[in-house]
Amino acid sequence: MSNLDIILQQLANGLILGSFYALVALGYTMVYGIIKLLNFAHGDLYMVGGFVGFLILSAISGLLGESWGAILCSMVFSMLAVGLLGVIIQRIAYVPMLQAPRLSILITALAVSMILSNGVMAVTDGEYLAFSTDLSYDGLDLGNVFISYTQLALVIAACLLMVILYLFVHKTLYGKAMRAIAIDQDACRLMGINVNRIIALTFFIGSSLAGAAGVMAGVYYGSLHFSMGFVIGLKAFTAAVIGGIGSIPGAMLGGQVLGLLEAFGTQIPFVGSEWKDVFSFGLLILLLIFKPTGLLGKTEIERM
Amino acid sequence: MKKKTKVFAAVIGGTLAGLLMLGQAGAADLKIGIMVPTTGSEATAGKDMENAIKQAVDEINKGGGVLGMKVVTMTGDDGCDPQQATAAASKLVSADVVGVVGGYCSGATLPTLKIYGDAGTPFVIAAANSTKLIDANPGTSFQINSTGFDQVNSAVGLFADKGVKKLAIVHQGDGYSEDLAKLTRDKWTAMGHEVVAYAVVNKGEQDQSSLVTKIKSKAPDAVFWTAYYSDGALLIKQLRQAGFRKLIAVGDGSNSPKLLEIAGRAAEGVYCFSNPTADYLPAAKDFTAAYKARYKQAPDAYGPLAYDGMKLMADAITRAGSTDKAAIVKALKETKDFIGITGAISFTDKNTLAKSNFVVLIAKGGKWVLNK
Repeated sequence: MSNLDIILQQLANGLILGSFYALVALGYTMVYGIIKLLNFAHGDLYMVGGFVGFLILSAISGLLGESWGAILCSMVFSMLAVGLLGVIIQRIAYVPMLQAPRLSILITALAVSMILSNGVMAVTDGEYLAFSTDLSYDGLDLGNVFISYTQLALVIAACLLMVILYLFVHKTLYGKAMRAIAIDQDACRLMGINVNRIIALTFFIGSSLAGAAGVMAGVYYGSLHFSMGFVIGLKAFTAAVIGGIGSIPGAMLGGQVLGLLEAFGTQIPFVGSEWKDVFSFGLLILLLIFKPTGLLGKTEIERM
Repeated sequence: MKKKTKVFAAVIGGTLAGLLMLGQAGAADLKIGIMVPTTGSEATAGKDMENAIKQAVDEINKGGGVLGMKVVTMTGDDGCDPQQATAAASKLVSADVVGVVGGYCSGATLPTLKIYGDAGTPFVIAAANSTKLIDANPGTSFQINSTGFDQVNSAVGLFADKGVKKLAIVHQGDGYSEDLAKLTRDKWTAMGHEVVAYAVVNKGEQDQSSLVTKIKSKAPDAVFWTAYYSDGALLIKQLRQAGFRKLIAVGDGSNSPKLLEIAGRAAEGVYCFSNPTADYLPAAKDFTAAYKARYKQAPDAYGPLAYDGMKLMADAITRAGSTDKAAIVKALKETKDFIGITGAISFTDKNTLAKSNFVVLIAKGGKWVLNK
């Protein structure tokens, strides 16, 4: 492999990984944008999404086989299920806390995260589950750069979801309501917008995106574990901050930037690949020093 | 009337005596500590070891116990984490256990050796086998799994046999896998060969594509994964998906059917160095059958060693003739060809296994089989 090949391959790796980060980061950023809550349970919704997808896929694989159709089907159902779970969590855990100090709701979010991950641990006995789909290893072979069709499909799916989300937020009345609530909740109430319903909708969309990412990760990596939401939760949060938390295009950009930083962090000469996180988080600190609002974040004017 | 009183007194007396005896039996239970991870990422292996130890205890109790005492166990969860392990060990020591059996993660086992040593508590380390444990041993711990040195010899032997010249080694930065990786690198370079990549995977990170690209760019003849099965399966899968077709070998921490399940067909032909598991041990047939009947699942890789560890502890206490800790340590040290289901156990002067018990396995048709 020549140096150019390595750079191109790492570029592909970074963008694929970045798509996962971006999908999960979107949920963080949407929820923060609308009620200023860092929803730490978000990574665990990703994990739950993976498990729900696994259950559905095992249930319907008898009918449809382990085909792309079955995977798509389980992804859609998992998105619905995790979206609903997000709304339920919001209703039970967050709505009663909305008027409480900011710190209380943050701690509630941590508690929800632990309930979800430990709940799944209790149900699965702490075991790793094999998400066996037996997808082909074929792919695009561009000289020395190789991208499997599975990776390609996942990136396309992620991009599609993001485009749909962008259109939803910017071209529909519901999206307009979301953006309005992000600016001023009280004014929205006066204008006759059902604020609680829009907040619930935001949770639904953000959670279902995490659920979709969970199923995609399960299909691609082939294993599920109750703790799998932790690392990606941290990384997606970072991605959201890099992009400017509260900004939807920012989350997409932040995810890709973090993915690329990690991929190229592995290639830093003279030091081992264990330094890649030091590299990417070091850059995050620098970014926060020189541009605290993130790449696309604006200072406290508009958040969606 | 008088007769009635007599009967009453007899009943009371009998009950009292019975209670007294019960109390005595309770006080004279032989308490053995189990230290394994029952939560966290290695909970599967830890619970398997706990199951196997409890099975051994039941068999011992059915056969009349040890020195006429009933064996009871107490589990300390080390969570595969050095800090939690320290707390678990202190808990077991303060509960005054006679001896401890267990130890899965070397990194978590390491700091507990001093705690057991200070208390004089004999500790049979069933699975953990980092060479760091040898130096840290205060003399009261006994390793019944072959140590890293034995595994390194098996590993470089296989690589040399297969004509490997350039080797890539990947570990996870914990005591066990880093140790194995380092020893293998030193040995391999000492043999005049080349280690082209020496890398670390962060625990719990699913995407290893950038590392895979880096490894592939160095064109190694073989990749050696020295850490545990959960992340190992992901690395194997992503290496194969990226088109790496050469030899892949994994250390004994990856010896689990789960690795094959998660990696799927990517695992075909992967080599694994392993202490002998129940499937390859003729002597373990009864153990496996009883385990399956009791727990409705097959024993995992370290079940037999954990089972042997408990049986060895019971044997040593019997030979010591008392529950005096120093006497038990002495008896353990003098163990001569104790026949367990994993083979004959004798100790070197460093309390490690005198004779290696490593085997080489290969993944075929979704199963580990002995490599011939």
